[in-house]
Order: sequence, then structure tokens, then C-alpha cells
Amino acid sequence: MDQVPDFWRAEVFHPLSVHFPIAILLVAFLFKLIALGSAKELWIQGGTLLLLLGTIGVWIAIYTGDLADGIVSRKICDPTVLKEHQNLAYVTAWLFTASLLLDLLKFSKTQYIKQKNKLLSILCIITLTIGSGYLMYVGHLGATLVYQQGAGVYQPSEDCSEFN
Amino acid sequence: MITKTLKSFAFLGIFLFMVSCGESTDTVESGTYQGTIEEVEASKDEIYVKTDDDKTLELYFKENTELTRNGNTVDFSELEEGQKVEVEVEKVGKRLDPISVKIME
Repeated sequence: MDQVPDFWRAEVFHPLSVHFPIAILLVAFLFKLIALGSAKELWIQGGTLLLLLGTIGVWIAIYTGDLADGIVSRKICDPTVLKEHQNLAYVTAWLFTASLLLDLLKFSKTQYIKQKNKLLSILCIITLTIGSGYLMYVGHLGATLVYQQGAGVYQPSEDCSEFN
Repeated sequence: MITKTLKSFAFLGIFLFMVSCGESTDTVESGTYQGTIEEVEASKDEIYVKTDDDKTLELYFKENTELTRNGNTVDFSELEEGQKVEVEVEKVGKRLDPISVKIME
């Protein structure tokens, strides 16, 4: 390799976009847990806002992950890990989407739904708990792809001549 | 109500299990295999081939992958779902690199 490759490669957009939803969604889960025992608007509405931002972010991460897939799959040594990472990422994204929908339903003015607010809160917390578990495992798989298989990582030559 | 909630979550659990098990692929030894194309992902130059012994191979074409029909080299766009193909693959780690793909029909 004579030249250092461009930084803005298609496979780089995934790590750039994935950490935001991981952090935001885990904090959203924390907010919603606190909101179970506190009536403060900060935890209730703050949690919903974080959940909304995180869910949008998770679908962006799915899109950028799909962009990276076509490049990374040709280079890594065990694509089965990537496949599991991909499959479980979809499950995670749908779980948080379901949590968001359940959470938004609580803001409905319909009397019938208002009566079910407690149930909606419980369902939302359960889906968030499962989703957070999946999110951490998917993140772990992503980390093993990078740190064990060098997915998307440029390997400099032994003498680093391309940096001269 | 508790029974209803439990039923809903049992259903959710089964659904998630099925989704997470979906689209799994297999690794095989280097060699030649016959099968049917299950899916073509043109944007990634990628195909999924279901072999005659029920294994799913995920193949990302490389620059040197030969794609032929009746002995003639053809373009990737010739590949379609349901086509019978013969693929020669090289196993590198757990990755399958397609050396050649022959369209049989």
C-alpha cells in the first residue's frame, strides 16, 4: 500500500453513527426506570425525548451498518459473527421502536388508552429491558468484529512507509 | 390481565427468537457445490445459494470471481432468484470466497 486510504470510507460511517444511539437508549431506559417511581416531568418527558432520538439513531445505525456490510464481509475471517450482529441489531431496533410506540401511546387523550397507562408503562419498561439487553450484546458483537477481526480497520504496513 | 400480559410476552419471545434465528448462513469446506439462488443483492454483488444438502451459502463476489453461463463470461446482472448454479468456493477462516459461479440453466 503506497497511500493511506481516505478516512471517509463507506465502512467508517457505521462506527461514527452507532455510539450515539447506544448511549442515548441506555440513558432513556434509565430515565424511564426512574419515572416509574417519580412523577417529575423531567424523567417522563426527558425519557420519551431520549427514546425518540435513540430510536431514530438506531435506524440510522442499521442503514450505515448495511453500507459497511458489503465491504467488511469480504475481509473478515468469520462472517457468521457479522450475521448475528446484523440479525440481532434488527431485533433491537424493532424492540426500541415498539417501546417508543408504547410510550407515545401514553400521551394519547383517548379515555380508553388513558385507563391503560399503567399497563403501557409496564409493557414499555419490559420491552426497554429486553431491548437494552440486546443492545449491549449487539454492541459486544460489534466490538469483537473490530477488535478480533479488524472489521473496517485499515492495517498499516509493517514499516509504516505510507505515512512518510 | 396478568395471563394476557404473559401470553403477549411469550408471543414476543417466540417472535424475537424466530427473527434472531432468521437468515442464518452456513460455512462449508472448500469445494464445488450445486444449489439454487435464494437471493441476489445486486448493490453488494452478493448472492445466497441454497445447496442441495440444505445449506445456505452467503457469497460476496470478489474481483477475480468467474461468473459463466454455457462457458461464456456473463455480467452479475444475469443472476436471478431461483436459478440453478454450481459454485466453487474457497474457505478462508469461516469466510467463503467464491472462485467461480456457473449458471446451469
